[in-house]
Amino acid sequence: MRSRFDQQLQELNSKLIEMGALCEESIALAAKALLGGDGELASRVVPLSREINNMEREIESLCLKLLLQQQPVAGDLRLISAALRMITDMERIGDQAEDIAEMAPFMAGREDRELGRIGEMARAAIAMVTDSVTAFVDRDTSLAAEVIGRDDVVDGYFARIKQSLIEALVSKPQEGEYVLDVLMVAKYLERIGDHATNIASWVVYSVTGVHGEEKA
Amino acid sequence: MTKRIFRSTVAVAAAVLAASLVIIMGCLYSYFATVQENQLRDELELAAAAVETQGSDYLESLDTSRIRLTWIAQDGKVLFDNQAGAASMENHAGREEFREAALAGVGESTRYSDTLLQKTIYYARRLDDGTVLRVSVSRMTLGSLTISMLSPILLVAAVALVLSAALAKRVSRRIVDPLNHLDLENPLENDTYDELSPLLLRINQQHRLIDAQMQQLRQRQEEFTQITGSMKEGLVLLNAKDMVVSINRAAMDAFGADESCVEKSFLTLERSHEVSTALREAKQKGHGETHITRGGREYQLDLSRIESDGEVAGTAVLVFDITEQADAERSRREFTANVSHELKTPLQSIMGSAELIEKGLVKPEDMQLFTGRIRTEASRLVALIDDIIRLSQLDEGAELPCEEVELLELAKDTAHSLEQAAAERWVQIKAAGESVKILAPRRLVGEIVYNLADNAVKYNRPGGSVDVEVREEDGSALIRVQDTGIGIPEEHQSRVFERFYRVDKSHSRSSGGTGLGLSIVKHAVARLGGSIKLTSYPGEGTAVEVRLPKAK
Repeated sequence: MRSRFDQQLQELNSKLIEMGALCEESIALAAKALLGGDGELASRVVPLSREINNMEREIESLCLKLLLQQQPVAGDLRLISAALRMITDMERIGDQAEDIAEMAPFMAGREDRELGRIGEMARAAIAMVTDSVTAFVDRDTSLAAEVIGRDDVVDGYFARIKQSLIEALVSKPQEGEYVLDVLMVAKYLERIGDHATNIASWVVYSVTGVHGEEKA
Repeated sequence: MTKRIFRSTVAVAAAVLAASLVIIMGCLYSYFATVQENQLRDELELAAAAVETQGSDYLESLDTSRIRLTWIAQDGKVLFDNQAGAASMENHAGREEFREAALAGVGESTRYSDTLLQKTIYYARRLDDGTVLRVSVSRMTLGSLTISMLSPILLVAAVALVLSAALAKRVSRRIVDPLNHLDLENPLENDTYDELSPLLLRINQQHRLIDAQMQQLRQRQEEFTQITGSMKEGLVLLNAKDMVVSINRAAMDAFGADESCVEKSFLTLERSHEVSTALREAKQKGHGETHITRGGREYQLDLSRIESDGEVAGTAVLVFDITEQADAERSRREFTANVSHELKTPLQSIMGSAELIEKGLVKPEDMQLFTGRIRTEASRLVALIDDIIRLSQLDEGAELPCEEVELLELAKDTAHSLEQAAAERWVQIKAAGESVKILAPRRLVGEIVYNLADNAVKYNRPGGSVDVEVREEDGSALIRVQDTGIGIPEEHQSRVFERFYRVDKSHSRSSGGTGLGLSIVKHAVARLGGSIKLTSYPGEGTAVEVRLPKAK
């Protein structure tokens, strides 16, 4: 009985890692497509996002099955409930990656200060996603705590980009649409940072039983 | 153990109890019965004698409650009874003992009470007057006796139970204790029951068998670890659930992991989508392949399914470090691109000049200039193609005949052949040193000296000098070419031996080099098993030292 349970937990673990890896890839791909204005690259994000959605449903049903059939307690229960929350955040990251990829055609051929900042912000957000998944893989609470701390960095980027976009709007009103697009992308990235933070706090919760943000 | 001993003790106690009960009861009962009967008979005789002499007075005077005396008349009417009113009693004529006594003089009978718990024994005797005197006594039957003894029996049984429990515990402890203290690691060194020695012997045998097998397993594991450990390629073995079963050092280095990753999912090592896709592919089709970049190095992952009895038993992942290959591939591509570019430039210049001449746009007095340009560019092309051919020969490693080469002589010849070119640039070239002979292909050594000296002349300043020095040092030949030229900045020093690499890209035309000279030197030196050392200071000059073994 227990060995079957262990097997299922392992399976859950593997699936979560896989889903995390998919998120990392889709956001990295979306950012690359955006910065290069590459429509072909952007179109590859959509199937990834679909796969992430499928993974979410799969993991969800696995979690429910585990909860119903095995009635887990303590650490196991924490892992499963954390998993149920994490997949929601991961799925949102996938959606936002898709949204960013959709913006790629509008950024084609642009090379300005704002887009450069978006690149930096994207790198920071991707690193947060990667590190939060790594924290889960290695059950590394200190890395998770570090990811939670880095949310402010991404938020800072958002504030700065917003400021410079306002200036751009004043100096070049005809660029209005582009400016708003960039703002949207910045907002998506900021949200991705939030989701990565959530994942990291669920990692802390699944290991220690204390929700990451509570401790912070 | 305790339970079984307890059970058998109780059973034995019960059996003994039952048996002794039956025997004792049987014997004693019959003995006492006989004694009582005899006594009764004697009493009857006495009473009969007394009644004969004294009549009913005797009976009246008798005071006994234990024995019942009844005097019965000839017709069966009860004349006297010491325990009941004679008048109220029924006629006894039908009673067995009475009839027997009336007929034979004595009679007896036994009657059981309704409950069978009591039996009454009757003895009767006919008196001289024909009346019958009967004596009777009631006594317990065997059954009632047993019932009355039930509580002492139960008491004994309870005691037996308690005793056997205590005994069983003690006995089993005494039996088991030595067993518990058996040293199973060294079964033969135990001093215990003889009955156990076959078991201990057997355990010993199995111990040795297990030890031998463990040893073998360890040895195999060690062999495996050693073999895979010294492999340059990384090897990871996964089970059917993609858990790491075994990982060698090279793979650990590649994935930046340690031993703790064993028995964890492969995804904890590498979770990229490409790898999980390749892993899935390997499990479905039998083989998968992918590339990953980890820690600045490129790896190729070859995944193969491992099957056993038609089922997927796991996956073997081979990790190849292809960084060098990838670099080589890149530089080959760069080289091809460079070659095309270098070949195209002079050709375009030739075509341009030829076109102008063809269309008659060149004035007759300029004709020489243009044809001259065509010739220079064509000769540049030839030089370039020559260099490429030589380089590809070196690349292919064609065997060249070795001969004795006198280096000083070669250096002097080279310096002499370059004198004119040097003079055009106001550069002085001279060769000096001691005579050193080496065994090597003359052409290769010639290429080395020529290209070094040629470079030293080309990248010099007017009024500068080139010194070619040949000497023997530490058993090998040393060729040193020192110039007073422009020098090579430090950041370029490591790259000047690359094909078509130029420090100053704009300078190439004027110096007339092909960009392959130093590359040829590098290859030739490598072929001869020598080494190159370059020391250069921008604005002061460059010194190149080539060490060649005297015999290859």
